[in-house]
Amino acid sequence: MVAIRGLHISKSYGHYRILEDLSFEIAAGECYALFGPNGAGKTTLLRILATLHRPSAGQLEILGRDAIREREAVREGLLLLAHGSHLYDELNAVENLNFAMALRAAAPTSREVKVALDQVGIGAFAELKVRYFSAGMKKRLAMAKVLLARPKVLLMDEPYTSLDEAGMVIMNRYIQDVVKEGASVVMATHDRVKSAEVAHRAGILRQGALHPLTREDLKTHELF
Amino acid sequence: MLNAIIRKLQLYKGWIGAAGGLCLGVGLYFGLVASPPDYYQGEVVRIMYVHVPLAHTSLLGYTVLFLGSCWYLWTRDPVVDNLCHAAAGLSTFFTAVALITGSIWAKPTWNTWWTWDARLVSFAVLFLILVGYLMLRTFIDDPEREARYAAVLAIVGFVDLPIVHFSVEWWRTLHQPLSISMRGVSISREILTPLVLMGIGFSLLFAYMLIVRTQLLYLSSLLRAKKGRLLSQVHLAKVQP
Amino acid sequence: MNFFEVIRVVAWKDLLCEVRSRETISSMFFFALIVILVFSFSFSMDQQAAHELIAGILWVAFAFTGIIGLGKSFSAELQNDCLEYLQICPAPKGAIYLGKVAANLLFIVTAEVILFPMFVIFFNLDVVEDLPLLLLIFFLATLGLSTVGTLFSAMTVHIRAREVMLPILLLPLAVPVMIAAVEATRGALNGNPLALYRHWIDLLVVFDVVFTVVSFWLVDLILDS
Repeated sequence: MVAIRGLHISKSYGHYRILEDLSFEIAAGECYALFGPNGAGKTTLLRILATLHRPSAGQLEILGRDAIREREAVREGLLLLAHGSHLYDELNAVENLNFAMALRAAAPTSREVKVALDQVGIGAFAELKVRYFSAGMKKRLAMAKVLLARPKVLLMDEPYTSLDEAGMVIMNRYIQDVVKEGASVVMATHDRVKSAEVAHRAGILRQGALHPLTREDLKTHELF
Repeated sequence: MLNAIIRKLQLYKGWIGAAGGLCLGVGLYFGLVASPPDYYQGEVVRIMYVHVPLAHTSLLGYTVLFLGSCWYLWTRDPVVDNLCHAAAGLSTFFTAVALITGSIWAKPTWNTWWTWDARLVSFAVLFLILVGYLMLRTFIDDPEREARYAAVLAIVGFVDLPIVHFSVEWWRTLHQPLSISMRGVSISREILTPLVLMGIGFSLLFAYMLIVRTQLLYLSSLLRAKKGRLLSQVHLAKVQP
Repeated sequence: MNFFEVIRVVAWKDLLCEVRSRETISSMFFFALIVILVFSFSFSMDQQAAHELIAGILWVAFAFTGIIGLGKSFSAELQNDCLEYLQICPAPKGAIYLGKVAANLLFIVTAEVILFPMFVIFFNLDVVEDLPLLLLIFFLATLGLSTVGTLFSAMTVHIRAREVMLPILLLPLAVPVMIAAVEATRGALNGNPLALYRHWIDLLVVFDVVFTVVSFWLVDLILDS
């Protein structure tokens, strides 16, 4: 079953054309690793998939719905983990999670929230204001969000940055869990090694176009 | 279908402009030369033939901006957005001239440059809304967002303007009776003719300028897109080391 | 996900963040204090003039104070890209908007309630009889500013010259609110019979209803791409 289908998607930002005629399909339960040099448009593509931007041309279908016309319906199953942590500095971890979930259909009990925080390893910091969290801790809090939201499509923009070794292991473990439950994951990343552990397919965004990569490519070739 | 009408209209822009010029010319002749001076105001009343039609045209322009904004939000056609931008720029100009001519008329007749009358304040607020609109468009970089936000601002402003007029009118009439009226008690044919001619003339002139300006904005956005395509090819080429 | 639940959650979140950082309310408060001081210096020579103008001075201070609060409403969402989450979450944008309006209303009215006694002190006002009515006027006028102000705050948050664009866009549109607020406040402060200035309060109600509906309807276009 196809979770994401993009047809002839292009995006111009003002004067610059960033994405040119992209067509792709991502199945349910598949993890797709997106590579590309800085400025190639990985973040732009992810944001289009997250329904944050409208493509300048083309069609996008997510979870069987038209992602351009029926955005509200599509968003329920989507979760974007981006550069910004989407966290409020003045609220603590529990409050941040409750707020994020209240804006979705999920309504986790306080017990579920506690369990999620424990599972990602920051249970001890549940009552601490996010202002005092390190970048790695914020990433783990984002993973707790994934656990509670149970999205069908998970979009991640450079998930491995700021994570320590243990954090990266946990991250990959959760990606695998999420994928096993039938969700699709699209991650933009520079980390070949870590992403190779979880990705089923990979591609590189270059000059506005998407080229598929094989495992061989990932291991040996220069990605430029 | 509306788009087709607009595109057809631009072929006749020369005729529209000429018709406007003709009306203005004839209207000015009647207004400045052939019509009688006012009993109280003397020759000064002749500025009415410029001021009043200008004011009506600027309101017309604002209505065009409002309708255009609604139309843009319905179709998301960038040419309609160019129309809105053009209408706003022109309306700002017309409003400013209306305010200035009004002020010039006021000094000899009411002995003041300005008064807190409902119409004047509404026009001043209209001017400020239009200037704010133009500033908003200037400060947003993303063209799609710019068009959308500007359309929202135009709609909010249009809904607000009658309320502004109404509230100022209440404010003044309950404090101080409106002792001055813009025109005389009854309007004779000699005054009405040039007034109507000037009104039609300015409206036609506005239509002409609107078409020309929309075309200019459209062409300049095409040019930017072309430049953008060339630049992005360079940009994408640079990205590959 | 209930529509009203979203409103409550957003308003509560804004409230909680503000209570803990006290950033907005303190800037609003000190700004208004400075405005009061400047005005009282300007009119210190002429007590009679001050008394005539007190309602106007009050609302100048409140309007600019309110604008500071309204601006912070969305600029506070820029931290950690929180605005992005609000844009892509499935919650209806109208509910998010109403939640923010509620929070802004609460902050600004709180500031007004704290500042009003300062006015009474600095300008030597007589004891005001009808305080609940005055509070109602503050509430209605502030709501008027908040409905359009929150919409424009969302509009200007990404723009260059953000802090100056919000007052430039808001104040011309808020002219009816200002006139009505000043006239109603003057009536209440002077102890005039309600019938004399009742229509100004009605105007505030009409403005509030019209612009809550219009802004609610348009906010999707601002918060959504």
